[in-house]
Amino acid sequence: MMLNTLVAVADLRKSYGSVEVLKGLDLEFKAGEIHAFLGANGAGKSTFLGCLSGAVTPSSGEITLDGQAFDALRPRQALDHGVGIIYQHFQVFEGLSVAENIFLGRELKKFGCVDKSAQIAEARTILQRLSVSIDPRTMLDDLSTGERKIIEIARALNVHPKLLILDEPTAALGEKEMAALHDVVRQLAHSEGLGIVYVTHLLDEIDEIADVVTVLRNGSVIWTKQKEDTNPTELAEAIAPSSSAMKLSAPSIRKNGPASIELEDYCSPFTGPINLSVRPGEAIGIYGLLGSGRTDLLESLFGARAHTGGSLKLGGRPTQIKNPLAAMDKGISLVASDRTEQSLFGTLSATDNLLMPHYGRSILPSLIRKPKRERELFSDLASRLSVHPPNPALLASHFSGGNAQKIVLGRWLLNQDADNQIILLDEPTQGVDIGARNQLYETLRQALNQGACVLFATSDPTEILTLADRTLVLGYGRQVALIDSPKNEHELVELAHRTSSAIHAA
Amino acid sequence: MSDYAHSLRSFSASRKPDNETGTTVNEQRKKIDWVEFSISAALPLAVVLIALFFYANSPVFFSARNWINISVQIAAAMTITIPAAMLLMSGRVDLSVGSLMALCGVVAGLSFETMGVPGAVAFTICIGIFAGLFNGVLIAVLGMDAIIVTLGSFTLFRGIAQWFAPNPVFGFPEAFLILGYGRWFGLPYLTWIMIGVLVTGLLVMRFLPIGRRIIAIGINDRAAFLVGVRVKWTVLLLYIAVGVACALAGLMTIARINSAPSASLGVDFEILVLTAILLGGVPFKGGKGSLLRVALAVVLLGMLDNGLVLMNVQTEAALMIKGGVLIFAAALDLIRTRRAG
Repeated sequence: MMLNTLVAVADLRKSYGSVEVLKGLDLEFKAGEIHAFLGANGAGKSTFLGCLSGAVTPSSGEITLDGQAFDALRPRQALDHGVGIIYQHFQVFEGLSVAENIFLGRELKKFGCVDKSAQIAEARTILQRLSVSIDPRTMLDDLSTGERKIIEIARALNVHPKLLILDEPTAALGEKEMAALHDVVRQLAHSEGLGIVYVTHLLDEIDEIADVVTVLRNGSVIWTKQKEDTNPTELAEAIAPSSSAMKLSAPSIRKNGPASIELEDYCSPFTGPINLSVRPGEAIGIYGLLGSGRTDLLESLFGARAHTGGSLKLGGRPTQIKNPLAAMDKGISLVASDRTEQSLFGTLSATDNLLMPHYGRSILPSLIRKPKRERELFSDLASRLSVHPPNPALLASHFSGGNAQKIVLGRWLLNQDADNQIILLDEPTQGVDIGARNQLYETLRQALNQGACVLFATSDPTEILTLADRTLVLGYGRQVALIDSPKNEHELVELAHRTSSAIHAA
Repeated sequence: MSDYAHSLRSFSASRKPDNETGTTVNEQRKKIDWVEFSISAALPLAVVLIALFFYANSPVFFSARNWINISVQIAAAMTITIPAAMLLMSGRVDLSVGSLMALCGVVAGLSFETMGVPGAVAFTICIGIFAGLFNGVLIAVLGMDAIIVTLGSFTLFRGIAQWFAPNPVFGFPEAFLILGYGRWFGLPYLTWIMIGVLVTGLLVMRFLPIGRRIIAIGINDRAAFLVGVRVKWTVLLLYIAVGVACALAGLMTIARINSAPSASLGVDFEILVLTAILLGGVPFKGGKGSLLRVALAVVLLGMLDNGLVLMNVQTEAALMIKGGVLIFAAALDLIRTRRAG
């Protein structure tokens, strides 16, 4: 069957500053085809999708839409030429009905007023086209997450796209809803002839839905193949080759003495019970899909969320942690998940960012600030973690992701007394390039060798292989496994995904 | 420490490739951004130009006596504006300052007879602390919305003041009135208090850890909480500071006018204070700001009041000019954020 090409990109490149995120992509997307798009975090997927939808201006290269070539697209142009995108994060509005959500911003009008009955009728047609039975008058609040995703698709169809981009549409969905969504997507591609770009992290979905598969790594296309010509092992290898797991110095777990941190049936608001004992020098990876409770558990251990049950022992002693300040006093630190949302003060200087937890305490105990000592502390850390540029007065928002993350992590490494330190990290290398990533791992390994223990949550299997001595797998808030380091990423992905579907089936 | 030596070596090894980008960063810093520069210079420049304009029209404006006059006129506003600006830097607002000032003035006026001057002053300051606690507990501790709560206490405090003293209270003891006209080293006490509050504010923001914490809370209170900043406590403390400042301003004003009119004392002060803070470049959502610029804005507004009167400009015209100045300042700030964003 010959399918005609909807969108083609040629030698598409994008750089942010000196970092090249897309290194010359050549791709084609065809009508009636589901084109799955895979890649680890930071592979350049979002940037590429942004180029297609007009949100990102490419540095060079060409995008051909409808046979018309563009250097760069504006969002409006992309829309007019039939490119629709549905983002990973929900863009629907509670408090409005399904029909109102579908027509938001493009209301059907009669005499200048919103024509409600026409909207409802039209919405019903669109939903029927998708073979789902949702009443357009239902309030969005009453819909499940899967149904909401379908409403977003319905809204996108409203502008008659030829190519529909779905960015991790199933990331927050359960097994059943996933199947329903797959039906909708297949319907659109195979019956209606839309081109679909389908981004996912789940290898099982590929088998389920894809016609063609492209793997992206470090800003380059590794290969594009027909689904029949590939298999999960090959996919996992392409996404994150085994050799890319960096070799770090050997772990030095201390067997004697009490455990640094011991959880017995520990529960946080949405997670638990967890049973885990971590020794000084040990790194525990916490792996699970989105919504598996990783963040909930870490923030609870840091006192930023409630501890709702079970016991917590630090150095063998039962402890309660009421708030982050108490956690810091006990040597616990947290590098929170979203750097810009939860960690960095963009309009304060690098020094202020680094020292914010320490002003007036621990290493800077004096009541009056000492600018010289503050600058020394920054320079010392900047050289230890090679923060670039090593400019203590530069605003934090002017640092690249990797360097900003070094500053955020550096906050908790200023204390030279690494013994009994417990470092919690939530997605520590999100938006961090590979070079800085390895430096961060090396820094953590040094802290481990000095007797700290590390618990880090990640959705990147490579990170588990690189750093973790043992791995705690979470699924839907429950501890599903505590395993010694897995042999490869695929094993881990499979485990996390299988357990989540098993729990769902139960 | 071998660890340190190692990292030093790796640092100097990585120095070479870094150097290229390093110089560009330096060059960028050396190059003066003229638009940015002129926007930041706008406020001090406006103060100078307006002063010169008034001087040209009415030479009395530049007399020492007139400057002292201006300082006395702005003393109460400055006293409240400084802590209120710090509060806004943390992302919270207090709309109840004028009413609280009236309440404190009335309380002081009514208690001189029974408590004596020191007792009444101390009691008034306690009322300020208590009112600050009231706002602060609702907003910082219970997490209620600052605008709604202080809009409520704006009406509430005024109501209490008028309930205590339906008619103006006047005839204060001489020992208290000296606060209004007395001088020390040639400057009125009121001016000294204003300078004291300003200098304290500047020192706190510059040299004490809490200065950085206030800004951090204003940028992102969740992130501040996660690095161990006591967000609730800090915000509560700021509301108390504003409360104390309102008590001081109330005392200063009733001493100057020898009367505590519960209906008109401190009216429109919340607007005046907020205008000065925003004019001084503190964004409404907080997260940055300079107290020196805020103080300059207070001076600017005071000069306008004084100079326009000297020029016999009607008060209506003066209102229009002051409003226009604020909107103009907001427009300049928009240019700045658009460029940055």
